[in-house]
Amino acid sequence: MPDEPLLRVQNVTKHFGPVAALTQVSVDFWPGEVHAVLGENGAGKSTLMNVMAGFLQADSGAMQWRGQPLPPSPPDVLRDLGIAMVHQHFKLVPVMTVAENIALDRMGGTQGRLDLETVIAPARAIAAQLDWQVDFDAPVHTLPVGVQQRVEILKALAGPSDLLILDEPTAVLGPEEVAELIRILRDLAAEGRAVVLIAHKLEEVFAVADRMTILRKGLHMGERLRAEADMSEVAALMVGEDPPRGAPVTGEPGPVRLKVESLSVKGDRGEAAVRELSFEVRAGEVFGIGGVDGNGQTELAEALAGLRSFTGKIERPDVVGLIPQDRQREGLALSLSIEENLWLGPVVHGQAGLGWWLSFSSLRAGSDESIQKYGIKVGRAQDPVSSLSGGNQQKVVVARVLGRQPELVIALNPTRGLDVKAAEFVHQQLRAAASAGAAVVLISTDRDELAALSSRIEFLLAGQWAASLAGV
Amino acid sequence: MKRVLITVATLLGALVLTLAVFGLDVPQALGLIWNGALGSEAGISRTLVRATPLLLAGLAVLVAWRAGMYSIGAEGQYIMGGLCAAAVFQALGERGFTLPLMLLGAIAGGAAYAGLAGALFIYRGVQVVISTILLNFIALSTLRWAVQNSLKEPGGFTPQTTPLPDTMMFERYKLQTDLHAGVWVALGAGLLTWWFLTRTKLGFSIKWVGANPKASEFGGIPVARTQMAAMFWSGGLCGLAGAITYMGVLRSIDQSFSENWGFLAIPVALLGALDPVGTLVSALYFGALFAGCEALSRSTSVGTSVVLVIQAVAVLAIVAVGQWRFSVRSKKAGEANL
Repeated sequence: MPDEPLLRVQNVTKHFGPVAALTQVSVDFWPGEVHAVLGENGAGKSTLMNVMAGFLQADSGAMQWRGQPLPPSPPDVLRDLGIAMVHQHFKLVPVMTVAENIALDRMGGTQGRLDLETVIAPARAIAAQLDWQVDFDAPVHTLPVGVQQRVEILKALAGPSDLLILDEPTAVLGPEEVAELIRILRDLAAEGRAVVLIAHKLEEVFAVADRMTILRKGLHMGERLRAEADMSEVAALMVGEDPPRGAPVTGEPGPVRLKVESLSVKGDRGEAAVRELSFEVRAGEVFGIGGVDGNGQTELAEALAGLRSFTGKIERPDVVGLIPQDRQREGLALSLSIEENLWLGPVVHGQAGLGWWLSFSSLRAGSDESIQKYGIKVGRAQDPVSSLSGGNQQKVVVARVLGRQPELVIALNPTRGLDVKAAEFVHQQLRAAASAGAAVVLISTDRDELAALSSRIEFLLAGQWAASLAGV
Repeated sequence: MKRVLITVATLLGALVLTLAVFGLDVPQALGLIWNGALGSEAGISRTLVRATPLLLAGLAVLVAWRAGMYSIGAEGQYIMGGLCAAAVFQALGERGFTLPLMLLGAIAGGAAYAGLAGALFIYRGVQVVISTILLNFIALSTLRWAVQNSLKEPGGFTPQTTPLPDTMMFERYKLQTDLHAGVWVALGAGLLTWWFLTRTKLGFSIKWVGANPKASEFGGIPVARTQMAAMFWSGGLCGLAGAITYMGVLRSIDQSFSENWGFLAIPVALLGALDPVGTLVSALYFGALFAGCEALSRSTSVGTSVVLVIQAVAVLAIVAVGQWRFSVRSKKAGEANL
């Protein structure tokens, strides 16, 4: 074992507004090791990586590189030093070839004429050394995802890369590609690199990592060598104790409002996202659906709301309200005013006056009432909705969706990115909707949220109900 | 208010600058333009007549763009509108109800032609910018073909449609002025469009679809239907513009029927801040410039093409001034946050 770590992270703290993303986190990264940083969504993994790679600056704390203090530096400086990052969302230009993509990354400093072959020669050499079959002349978009990821890794390896950080590298891969990636990461570590892996799937981590650090809610929960680690103990460290149930809705459930039978939904890339799901939700009930992002949640919610085609059977009431997870992309028209954003519901669903006309008096009465009732903090209702804070923007969405008194409410990560107070408000509203007789489907990656609201909970894993919760 | 003043100052600056660059005596040229555009009854009439196609096609651009359909097919739809009106006349001849049917035919023809681009986008994913450019070329070729073949005046020597009899033309109030009743039809259509965009559910949906199609879909707006409606309305206005020029000014359609009004309308709508009232003001301003520069070209060496230069300089100046004000504001806001 080498006598000093390649990179030491010491007492790093990072806040986003009032939210502590990292609190006094210290980790050592050793050369020749694959080191997994584990945690659920929002545990602070990505924040830590971004601090290490220079994309974020820590509020306090220090780093050491090869025993020397490492002042906060921009990403390109750290990159030249040897800290390379492979992002979860590939930073590739789809219509350009592999060679061009690699050249794009390595062009800094070259001027005028571009000799593609010279620029990509190091990448070619590494590919040969690793025995990778990569067609450098193929346009990137024609390649399978696993190969695209390899291109991304090649980009990182083509420069100095003593410390290689991979953010959720398995999230986009199929099982065979994961096995291949594991082999690659072991090879890279065997060459003396420190390989850092952000992950939340325990089986994969136990298959590849030498060492693992567990984060939960920005806190360092412990460090284990794989040889001495126990999977269920690590899972418990990640998830924590089940929080005390807040006030889940437990009223007498009413008649069945939503009935789903062998529902299958395809994702955007044509993959099977939801597979043969069946369930029922009754009036007055909050049905919680948990699981890690990307296991079919979005596709399920959109199919339930009638926005995505599916096979199987869905019986649902006429008035369905969807609280989307990305309020700015799917919930609001940011360039329009607050009241125009509130008017969408009544206009589309024919509650505003006669026929084809808009009745501004009745619309405005409705929107003013919503602003009052939901406590939306506005200067003037005519101001653009983009002038509101995130929490108040979400209130606009919630007010519009719940204002129609839907019989079925589908909420997809409804409090993502909100502060505690705003999140509590959304929870209250969902509870109130259930008490008023709506069936609520709450799809969330936040276990606390599920525990606080749900009458019962299931977990989605690869589009099906997960048999056990460990590692989900 | 401040914004309006800055816009007016910018437009005036662009005008003066362009005249100076053309080597004209600026005060004298401004005087000629003023007199040509507003100095007499004939001038005012000419201004209104020139502003008419700009208003209709400008509103057409605005309706489509509000829905996020970046159509630049106003020119082709304008041509199709004129041709449809001519076809209706050829089919029905001179009768009492022919004139309104010519207008309806023009509206239907323009709407259908724009709807083609809308359907190509919705069902085939073809970008409206691309399809409308290409459809403009097809409309031009159709125009050339039609005036030489199916719509050619029987027994005529030049390739043009049969000249309309007076009863099929919009009424002209005086022999000395250009003003005709079609101008009021255009104003009525403009008013209807303003009402449509701001006071109807469909207009509201158009605004939403243009602002965020994904959120519109999630909120329950039938996005494709709304985009089609916007294209139909837009094309209908252009078709009407073509018919009004044909039935108010030209009397017959020949190969030069397309006079770029559909293209000129794009900067008109942009200078009008994609707002119905703004577009009306902007159409009147450029209508006046066209009328004024016709007078200018009679007493100086420059032609009316100077208007195109003025228009281009004005658009660039407005964009530049807007950007400059935006960056000043952002900088101030940034300092306030520190």
